[in-house]
Amino acid sequence: MRPARVSLLLLLALFVATCSHREPVTSDAGPANVATPAGVQPPAATPAAPAAPIPAEPVPPVVKAPAPARPLDLNTLETQLKETRAIGLFTKITLKNQVDDLLGQFRKYYRGKAKLTLKDLRRSYDLLMMKVLTLLQDEDQRLATAIVSSREAIWRLLADEKTFSTLQG
Amino acid sequence: MNRVTLGWAHAFVVAALFARPSSAADDEALKKDLTAVIALQGLPCGKVVAVKVLAESDYNASCEDGNRYHVHLSPEGRVVVEKQK
Repeated sequence: MRPARVSLLLLLALFVATCSHREPVTSDAGPANVATPAGVQPPAATPAAPAAPIPAEPVPPVVKAPAPARPLDLNTLETQLKETRAIGLFTKITLKNQVDDLLGQFRKYYRGKAKLTLKDLRRSYDLLMMKVLTLLQDEDQRLATAIVSSREAIWRLLADEKTFSTLQG
Repeated sequence: MNRVTLGWAHAFVVAALFARPSSAADDEALKKDLTAVIALQGLPCGKVVAVKVLAESDYNASCEDGNRYHVHLSPEGRVVVEKQK
């Protein structure tokens, strides 16, 4: 083989390898738990009758619902939000700005400087959570589920002045 | 043109063909990111259909509804979205 031909083929192979070397597409929801349907017994080990084989009807696999995610602590949640690929960098910064704004409102509230009530803060919190979930739910379902599970726990941390002050450091 | 040159020319054509989808994917990711940013600010846009990169973290985004926004990062670390006329 001529050298030019070899280098072209090598280059081609390199590009194909580079293009095909993508991170494995992992479903963030985790692998589906597939179980055989209840009541369907495995075929008994009896000798087969000489009858003509009857094509078995395809039995749809039963997909188990994912187990409810455990609530996350704030640090884990922060790390996972930073690392998720479901949200772009600018979106993450925007969300962080909005989280900081909300924390600022809580600070004012506890200092008695805000006209807001706890009910107003809850509404802002819910709205922010909804924004985060909207951004995550299609592409990082696992994190979205974890956030849903942690939603009330996080609110309890914020809604209590003592725990809120510990969050502020 | 000799065969070696022709070989390299082919290689560059192939390289260009393979390089294009990656760049397009980045472009789509940026449009999606800016669409989300504009929506998070509660501004009308629909989808971002074109982006002009002005500098690092500094973009002009054109929306499908005709709105245009200047999206950039302020020195304080805030994402600023300004409507353009």
